[in-house]
Amino acid sequence: METSHTGNLAGVRVLDLSRESGFLTGKLLAELGADVIKVEDPEGDPARLRPPFVQGVAAPEASVLWLALNTSKRGITLDLRKPAGARAFEALCRTADVVFETAGPSEAHALRHAGFDLARLHALNPRLIVCNLSPFGQTGPYGSYRGSDLTAMALGGNMYPTGNPERAPVRCSLPVSYYHGSIEAAAGISFALWGRETSGQGQFIDVSLQEVMNVPNMTTPMQLPFTGFKGGRVGGGFRGNKAFFHELWPCKDGYVSFALRGGPARIPGIIALVEYMDENGMAPPVLKERDWKAYNHNTVTQEEVDAIEVALAAFFQGKTMEELFATACDRNLMLAPGNTAKQIHGSRQLAARSFFVDLEDAGRGVTLSYPGAFAISSLGGIGVRSPAPCLGQHNAEVYAEIGLDAEALRAQGVA
Amino acid sequence: MTEQGTAGEAVRSTAKPRLFDGLKVLEFGGGAAGPLGTRYFADQGATVIRVESKQRPDFIRLLRYTPGDPAGLDGSHMFAMVNINKLGIALNMSHPKAIGLARRLVDWCDVLAENFAPKAMAKWSLDYATLSQSKPDLVMISTCLNGQTGPDRNYPGFGGQGSAISGFNHLTGWPDLEPLGPYGTITDSLSPRYVALLVASALLHRRRTGHGQYIDLSQVEGGVVCLSENLLTYTATGELLERIGNRSRHAAPHGVFRCAAKGDDDDRWIAISIQSDEQWFALRRAMGDPAWATKPDWSSTAGRLAQVDQIEAAVGEWTRTKTAEELMRKLQAAGVEAGLVNNFEDLLNDPQLRHRNHYREVTHPVIGKHLCETNGMRFSATPDAVTRPAPRLGEHTSEVFQNILGLSEAEYAELNAEGVFQ
Repeated sequence: METSHTGNLAGVRVLDLSRESGFLTGKLLAELGADVIKVEDPEGDPARLRPPFVQGVAAPEASVLWLALNTSKRGITLDLRKPAGARAFEALCRTADVVFETAGPSEAHALRHAGFDLARLHALNPRLIVCNLSPFGQTGPYGSYRGSDLTAMALGGNMYPTGNPERAPVRCSLPVSYYHGSIEAAAGISFALWGRETSGQGQFIDVSLQEVMNVPNMTTPMQLPFTGFKGGRVGGGFRGNKAFFHELWPCKDGYVSFALRGGPARIPGIIALVEYMDENGMAPPVLKERDWKAYNHNTVTQEEVDAIEVALAAFFQGKTMEELFATACDRNLMLAPGNTAKQIHGSRQLAARSFFVDLEDAGRGVTLSYPGAFAISSLGGIGVRSPAPCLGQHNAEVYAEIGLDAEALRAQGVA
Repeated sequence: MTEQGTAGEAVRSTAKPRLFDGLKVLEFGGGAAGPLGTRYFADQGATVIRVESKQRPDFIRLLRYTPGDPAGLDGSHMFAMVNINKLGIALNMSHPKAIGLARRLVDWCDVLAENFAPKAMAKWSLDYATLSQSKPDLVMISTCLNGQTGPDRNYPGFGGQGSAISGFNHLTGWPDLEPLGPYGTITDSLSPRYVALLVASALLHRRRTGHGQYIDLSQVEGGVVCLSENLLTYTATGELLERIGNRSRHAAPHGVFRCAAKGDDDDRWIAISIQSDEQWFALRRAMGDPAWATKPDWSSTAGRLAQVDQIEAAVGEWTRTKTAEELMRKLQAAGVEAGLVNNFEDLLNDPQLRHRNHYREVTHPVIGKHLCETNGMRFSATPDAVTRPAPRLGEHTSEVFQNILGLSEAEYAELNAEGVFQ
């Protein structure tokens, strides 16, 4: 046990020019110990104006989105389109290991449009790893297309099969493609850091939101030649060979997820649920008399499923999510609550693992509870370091580190 | 390192070096969440040995299995697609002689990855506390639904439960209907990316210090960290976020609209996201500036958000008579963010994914030619490569034990006869 371990990426410096789609990348790298410097235009990132705001008061330092995904970073302001700003950025690039941005190739704020294309960055520092997370990638027929989560989800193929058959395909109300893309970019950066150990050279990593959204389909698109399945939506359930099975059930105070899926790993859970229902006097013969060990969801008929599901629906209606999930954990039922943030924050499992952390935010005068470390290492060193930076919070110290005067830059309108 | 290429023939056929050439990874577990994580390393040149058992096969080998199927346990498309580029061995872990062999494989590897329920590795004395005594530079990662500690660590979950517990289901779907699991998986597909990041960072640390480490990745926690906005909205404002279909709280119109049928397929859709007033005017022009769209109130996001139902109904009427493909081209050319809602057939023919060489063809000895996919990142200097199909169950057992661990043919035959490699 090394108590002094400051993280696997200690000593790595990242210049983080991302907007919303890539906020999580720098957060993860910083929470592994990297020195991540968020670089914003002097007027601030657009996400700072995004509601909701802490305690409901609109202010550029109080956006929940900004606070949630920019923890553990330092923050500076820099207009790199002005000559003095470009010189400051050059000096930063010489001290950095990674430059990360999320502008698509056609977007005006892309680094290349400020004159910092890959060749110039590598002329400044050949060891620099440059990573871009964009909607569709840097080149190709959609390379210049505009995109955000909604269109990346659409073209990525994970939206078409999500939803109810009688309605439009639907996305998660928070931007899932950004999360997949951000972790992918962080992984890519750590891979390139590893490669640089032997090559001595940085390289460019091109990450696509559209492309990362293919993997969640769990290979089913590639199985199309064998199955003919194009991804038609079935709502909250799944379709076996002969029947449709519900998977989301209203209970007393919300929803739980449970399905009559078969397979050796799942059947003990169905048997345990029937016992639990029976103890509550709610297991009719259609449940009690069935030989569950021989159950196969590919052979059961819709009529049988309907009869079983009537009993399940009645049982779940009378229980709360918390009761059902506690029983599921104690008895290995494969049942899960459709948690809201409140229920997640109150989870006994997350509490036992000290997952949530109270972060005192002196700059804003608040202490808030945040999701904590995304993983636990035997060495320690993973976790939230500090609240998201206020606008230009670290100008003085960061510019001093490269021999520049933040005040002078500010006077020139550069910082 | 010397073992590269010894197990089986033609391990690498690419000319370019890959990032993890020479790295040795040992993998226990099944499903997708673990195996997709190690695939990142296999695609970049690492030798990944997947330990399986004929006694308790990986459940994704059984997904389409029917007794008497001549393909046996090697006919699963999903297994074949997620385990590209790996070597596979069969080792009956309930045989007393298997544990010692597994320990020798651990001595061989740089990285040990597993995604069993928490008790399995400890039962075989393959837990980090035991292994690190003789191998302090071991990098080991465990990933299961709830993590390795806590009262609910043994809760047996698949991806569907992970999505519900970490909050994705509650946020997915229509406000007047039940929450939906996003299709496929969320936590099972976020976790492999975390595994790639965490293992690479641990290798960097080991290179500098010589120290290994053990990493406990809870799939639920990884998901909750992604949804930090959901959690912090609650802890900072008391508000609970709800599912809102395809709407945005910050942009309008923002939806998915039905398009003209394509042949007899009337399930064609276009996603349109208007992120600025400038894009709204671009959409208006693309629609031919119809009278209904020229309301002055709608020149601002706030005005459009206030009457989004009305606007989206009208946009939907306009899209209904045009094909999704035509609309995407036309709207993007006009500066409007629009995207075809790709079904699986569209996806396999998507020109952008083709351009990025997302899907690759590989030939499996049992399944035949099939597609596999790669991850979402492209490296300028060290491209990934698909060099071999997924292993048949136990395909590389004799090569691995004889060529890598150095068992003699006689030793191998004796152990085989005792059922160790079942």
